[in-house]
Amino acid sequence: MAAQPYAVEVDGVVKRFGSLRALDGATLRIRRGEVYGLLGPNGAGKTTLIRALVGLVIPDGGTVTVLGRRAPNLDVLARVGYMTQQAALYPDLSAEENVAFFAAINGAHEGVREALEFVELWDRRGSVVSSLSGGMRTRCSLACALAHKPDLLLLDEPTVGVDPLLRVQLWNRFQRMAHDGTSILVSSHVMDEAERCDRLGLIRFGRLLAEGTVAELKGQAGVDRLEDAFLKLAEAGGK
Amino acid sequence: MSGRRVAAITRRILQQFRRDRRTLGLLFGAPLIILGLLGYLLRGGGAVPAMGVVNLDDGPLGAAIASQLEQSKTASASGMSRAAAEAKLRSGELAGYVLLPSDFSSRAQQSRVISPEVHLEGSQPGLSQTILQAVSESFAALAGQAGGVRFAPQVTFLYGGQTFDTLDYFGAAFIGLVVFFLVFVITIVAFLRERGQGTLERLMASPLRRGEIVLGYMLGFTVLALVQAVEVLAFCLLVLHVHNAGNVGLIFVLEALMAIAAVNLGIFLSMFARTEFQAVQFIPLVILPQVLLSGIIFPISTEPGPLTVLSRVLPLTYAVEGMRNIMIKGADISWPSLQLDFGVVLGFCLLVILASAATLRRRIA
Ligand SMILES: Nc1ncnc2c1ncn2[C@@H]1O[C@H](COP(=O)(O)OP(=O)(O)OP(=O)(O)O)[C@@H](O)[C@H]1O
Ligand SMILES: [Mg+2]
Repeated sequence: MAAQPYAVEVDGVVKRFGSLRALDGATLRIRRGEVYGLLGPNGAGKTTLIRALVGLVIPDGGTVTVLGRRAPNLDVLARVGYMTQQAALYPDLSAEENVAFFAAINGAHEGVREALEFVELWDRRGSVVSSLSGGMRTRCSLACALAHKPDLLLLDEPTVGVDPLLRVQLWNRFQRMAHDGTSILVSSHVMDEAERCDRLGLIRFGRLLAEGTVAELKGQAGVDRLEDAFLKLAEAGGK
Repeated sequence: MSGRRVAAITRRILQQFRRDRRTLGLLFGAPLIILGLLGYLLRGGGAVPAMGVVNLDDGPLGAAIASQLEQSKTASASGMSRAAAEAKLRSGELAGYVLLPSDFSSRAQQSRVISPEVHLEGSQPGLSQTILQAVSESFAALAGQAGGVRFAPQVTFLYGGQTFDTLDYFGAAFIGLVVFFLVFVITIVAFLRERGQGTLERLMASPLRRGEIVLGYMLGFTVLALVQAVEVLAFCLLVLHVHNAGNVGLIFVLEALMAIAAVNLGIFLSMFARTEFQAVQFIPLVILPQVLLSGIIFPISTEPGPLTVLSRVLPLTYAVEGMRNIMIKGADISWPSLQLDFGVVLGFCLLVILASAATLRRRIA
């Protein structure tokens, strides 16, 4: 198991919705213990790709391997934490009850406090979710994905609506988690977040246009700013 | 008040329905289905209840009444021996029989009273009324010839009786129905809310097996449903004093089976709706036809032929019949008719459990 260098291997995955190809031969590798940033415009296929990793989308072609096993695999799913793009919580339960529930269905009985402290919601643990602010709900949803201490964390735009101070703290914590061995896939639109990823993948029209470290991508495009690199690479890939 | 702003809202509502074919279908299709069913039920030329005529009269009057009855369009009467009539009454083949005693003619002449014995099965009030009506019609037809004679039938009931009121008959059926429908509604809406708020997606991305989701849901709602079943039963028996001739434990078991079936029917049907809004539309479609066809209000034996087939297929029919068997007739589990009722309800329960587990799997795969 430990010999497996990759947490996620996606090979030539195709997913059609009617005539639309949401994924069109996407190929990427996420190494163990790295923060991998998935970037791309709206509708590029980021969410669809993440859903394919947890078996919510069954590809029409290609292969998906997660933590060494072909997806979807129930044993592997217990070691994956998935934070959906829209906060998915039970509005009538408190923050703590939500986190405890998602931990329990993943087989964990501890870690609730730690997860709520991670997102700075321990003080509000008794609040019913429907009474939390928008950003707090996002954080609670994040806590639900963390509590069972997964080996692979899939975060679909986890910091949308989170205030700048906390956003910086969360990213520090993501990096520490990765350092401790957790593999993290983050989708994002925010460039300063992208800068903090170990490696990045640029996705568009369901295909990976470029992959590499921040420095590699800047070098590939021949520019100094990551933003410019993306615009250039996306333009080149669109042709 | 701005006409434009009001118009914007009106237009938006119509636009919204344009894309929701199912709601449109319900809005314009369901009334036709339900009213058509009701029309067919009431005007479709259903059977009239069967009754027996036991004529022991030494005089001529008995034969006259008997032949009047046999021509009756209100009930379908046929002559038979007393023993046969009694046996058929107990087996439920007859809704009642009329017995004209040996001194029937002579009493009519001497004391100017016509008093046939009317024996009614009694568990379905509508049928009893019809039999009594047929008997009094047959008398009225002869009244011209036998001027000044008083009509005083002696009515006895196998089940129920004069002390029974409408609630005693309907209460038994409704104890089961109330639980069934409320639990069904709550489950289907709760399950769709799970989908709408995105948490179902999270459950699907977890190591939960489909069977575990269905079982967990079932147990959770069953706890609520059983508490409700106890409450409904206690209220009916202790506060409303609905007549009960049978075992309370049996009533509860039947109620509990219906509740479990309702939970799973809710999960199963939620797979065919995208939103809570659409789920709510299942309610009239599931509930109204069953109420019309399960024999609660209209006895199944008097429905038009094709509808009796449908009624005999609906599991609710057996649930209603079982409740009435226990509460009105005092049936226990050794009665074959109650065994059939329990068997069908249990079978339905298992079927919807399997169906809810299977559809959940299909949706995800
Ligand atoms: N269930 C679905 N049915 C039909 N089309 C879908 C479905 N899910 C996604 N799509 C389409 O697939 C494409 C990719 O969608 P996806 O949600 O993966 O984009 P994304 O990269 O996550 O975008 P965003 O940045 O807006 O979150 C879009 O064109 C979308 O309309
Ligand atoms: Mg997305």
